[in-house]
Amino acid sequence: MAGVEVVSEQGFRTDGRKPNELRRIRCKQGVFSHADGSAYIEQGNTKVLATVYGPHEIRGSRSKALHDRAYVNCQFSMATFSTGERKQRPRGDRKSTEMTMHMKQTFEATILTQLYPRSQIDIFVEVLQADGGNFAACVNAATLALIDAGIPLKDYVCACTVGFVDDVTIVDINHLEETNHIAEFTVAMLPKSEQFVMLEMSSRLHLDHLSKVMDMATKACKDVHLVLDRAVRDHVSEVWQQLGNT
Amino acid sequence: MTDLLLSEAEKMFIIHGVQDNLRVDGRSCDDYRHIELETDVVSSANGSARLKLSQTDVLVGVKADLTTPPTDNPDVGTLEFFVDCSANAAPTFEGRGGEDLARDISSTLARAYSSDRCSSSMLKALCVVPSEQCWVLYIDILILECGGSLYDAVSIAVKAALSSTKVPVVKVTSSDGGKPELELSDDPYDSLRINVKHAPCNVTLSKIGHSHVVDASLEEEVCSLASLMMAVTEEGTVTMLKKSACGSLHPESIYEMLETGKNVGLNLNKQLTRQLLDEECLHTQMGTNREPKGFL
Amino acid sequence: MKDHPLSNCEEKFVLAAIAENRRFDGRGVYIYRPIVILYGHDRGCCHVQIGCTRVLAQVSCEVIIPKQTRPNEGVLHMNVELSPMACPSFEAGKQSDYGVEVNRALERLLRDSLCIDLESLCIMSGEKVWQIRVDVHVLNHDGNLIDCSSIAAIAALSHFRRPDVTVSGEEVTIHPLDEKDAVPLSVNHIPLSVTFAFFDQGRTLLVDPTDQEERVMDGKMVVGINKHRELCMLHVSGKMLVLQDQVVRCVNIAAARVGEITDLIKDTLEKDNAARKSGKEFGFAKCLADVILGVDDLLKHYVDSMSVDTTSVGQTAKTVVDADGNRVQMEVDNAETGNVSIKVPGTGKMSTNTEGGAVTWCEGEESDSDVILLDKNDSTSSEVSSKQVSAVVELSDSEEESVLMTSQDLERTELSKSRAIETRENRGGRCRGKSFGGRNRGKRGRGNGQRYF
Repeated sequence: MAGVEVVSEQGFRTDGRKPNELRRIRCKQGVFSHADGSAYIEQGNTKVLATVYGPHEIRGSRSKALHDRAYVNCQFSMATFSTGERKQRPRGDRKSTEMTMHMKQTFEATILTQLYPRSQIDIFVEVLQADGGNFAACVNAATLALIDAGIPLKDYVCACTVGFVDDVTIVDINHLEETNHIAEFTVAMLPKSEQFVMLEMSSRLHLDHLSKVMDMATKACKDVHLVLDRAVRDHVSEVWQQLGNT
Repeated sequence: MTDLLLSEAEKMFIIHGVQDNLRVDGRSCDDYRHIELETDVVSSANGSARLKLSQTDVLVGVKADLTTPPTDNPDVGTLEFFVDCSANAAPTFEGRGGEDLARDISSTLARAYSSDRCSSSMLKALCVVPSEQCWVLYIDILILECGGSLYDAVSIAVKAALSSTKVPVVKVTSSDGGKPELELSDDPYDSLRINVKHAPCNVTLSKIGHSHVVDASLEEEVCSLASLMMAVTEEGTVTMLKKSACGSLHPESIYEMLETGKNVGLNLNKQLTRQLLDEECLHTQMGTNREPKGFL
Repeated sequence: MKDHPLSNCEEKFVLAAIAENRRFDGRGVYIYRPIVILYGHDRGCCHVQIGCTRVLAQVSCEVIIPKQTRPNEGVLHMNVELSPMACPSFEAGKQSDYGVEVNRALERLLRDSLCIDLESLCIMSGEKVWQIRVDVHVLNHDGNLIDCSSIAAIAALSHFRRPDVTVSGEEVTIHPLDEKDAVPLSVNHIPLSVTFAFFDQGRTLLVDPTDQEERVMDGKMVVGINKHRELCMLHVSGKMLVLQDQVVRCVNIAAARVGEITDLIKDTLEKDNAARKSGKEFGFAKCLADVILGVDDLLKHYVDSMSVDTTSVGQTAKTVVDADGNRVQMEVDNAETGNVSIKVPGTGKMSTNTEGGAVTWCEGEESDSDVILLDKNDSTSSEVSSKQVSAVVELSDSEEESVLMTSQDLERTELSKSRAIETRENRGGRCRGKSFGGRNRGKRGRGNGQRYF
């Protein structure tokens, strides 16, 4: 798809954003009543639902039980109507398995699993509409769902995608920009300590630009953190009021 | 689905209440719970609908694609149903756990939509070039939460999604010597709408004690021994009938249930059509300012 | 089949060694194991060995209908098979999570970084394109599969030749190899991956971890980079948290390593091409004969016996034994510790005198025929004995309970068996430091492990 300009001469992207602007994030916690924790997040046109069950007893084979910490079980699934071209299978293909593994590793590093030995925490994520930055939206949604479920975390896990094209670093890339074969970084980090929990990069990027891109990614994740933190505090005060307290 | 454990006392309470036409949440035996419906929530699909029936949450997306029509019916389009029980609804649905339920729901829907009247009114319009090209509508149902009365919720959502589906108009320009060229119109407003007049709605009647209830909640489903599922169209014709659960039904009770079901079904269809029409007007009024509420 | 687990003491030992920046094979922390690249007879067949890890890659091509969204581009398909041949825990058929990880890493490294020009694979736009399929089979797993597979895949792709195609109007002719020479693929750049294993919350880094090191690591980072210092792929996995400067440091180290490996690939490719042109033999049969099984190699592996400094042995032994609860009153006589020497990597040999001689510490109560001396020149003896070290020997003599041995400084062995075993004194006899044969009525030292009770 050569010829589509990702960043125009005036410095605007295809959807009118500036290179360092995130898409609009709207989120809601407590969407489902049956699950222990649930959250819904919309990052631009990417819509993701996450639910958390647990900590509960190990389901299935007892051999998965870890004697000193909780077992984190994740599932990443995309609705068949979420992408432009219909997906044949919602989960089970290689990309979904890879995303599942990444999510599991991300949250195993963040949840204080030592507090729940021999138990299991389930995190299920469903992508309803995919418009770029799917994994980042899933991680953000799962963080909110975990907070809603009351599971202790080291810190918020904020994720964001960053791209690099024509010497310009762009933040929170959408699907159109992704298909242009630009260098793409997906980053999940703990904003307070600036530690990266997960780093993925594809396509080519010269080493000289690496630190610039990583700095931009850190800043973008911190921006996401502000939005998520605001949403959590609003939700908690709303629930507090509904319970009859002012 | 989730295994709910009820004590004997609770079961007795529900059964006695039903016999007096009073259910646990105050409804009568023929009432549906509060339904929230919104269409066009997913912009990547040609049509979509989200339905919330108290604790049951279903999301349906419809995508249209061009394909060759089946050889036995060369001048109609086709419908393909696919149900995905998401792990959000129950942890047991993880991986391939929900496949049995999914298969059941999709085959029930396929049977309900297979009646001649329904298919002729809806599918004839989907034909592009007879024997060569036709539209296939992939109806994908995502079950997000199970709170009882799943089949009903799914059927209502499917009807709503189909009514909001916009299929692009295709211009056929016959090229010389061979395959006709197809041109999809670029205009997003120039689209074909599906006629859902004869699309059925599912009504599930569960037998509790000596009487039957419509739209059973999870607790009531545990108490019921047998249930009857019927797909009812706007005119009152029944396109599909299915008895499920392990109890047995007396022919007289079946007759009673059918009568109730038909009335309820007629009412449901009427209300649904009215609501969809209202929403359509609202959409055209708001135009581009409209923001789908979705899950927010 | 389940893989045999690593015991706690093995784990602790490996971690302690790594904390001192020492690796079992004596490598530096940023050094690769020796890499051997061999090409097969067919074009596109490549076998790579990093240490003991072996991977075979084969490239094939096929004409297919392109994707609707990309009608001008060919398709590069990667497939990694972790066969049970490599490691008993790999299952045939279904891809495990690790298999998916390796697969996706390679896909991102080679496909998403556009190392092959896909538009050059187009024959007729929208109708016919080449599909290049790379099948990677892992033959032996000793750690660092991703690096080995990446070298194999890119070397195979550079080695491969596809049939030539001429398009005239609507006619497409694919020329067989005897008509026209095959055409190489247009490789834009050579991306390679470098794996880093993290230990101790990211404070210690190792390049090219072996299987043992991989089992005890906190997490790993795979950096895909090419010679021109372009980052092609970055993948952090494992339950660890990294900082930005750690990432930058790793990437710089990777950039340094990759240059050497790229040169090695180019060298071997040139040699193979030259061999094919000049009509000499080429292919696995020739290469294996030369590199692995050749007589020259045997001689290359011959190492003079190295001696080990045993001056502090007595003190160390005493500390070890004392630390074990002080059950034994053992006097270790420094003068009697003898010489420890290394004949072959992975074995140790100890003796008071070069000839061996009679065992001096059996108090003469058993007949000599029951005691079998260690065969000094049998280089497998010490290896076997260190293997059999932990066996408890049930003896007919009721005065002895169990005999176990203390191994002295056999630090060079790469076998991660248990090290310190307590010695029980028997019959009040002084156990001199050279307790090798033990009170076992012989049997140790026989290569076939036969026992005479």
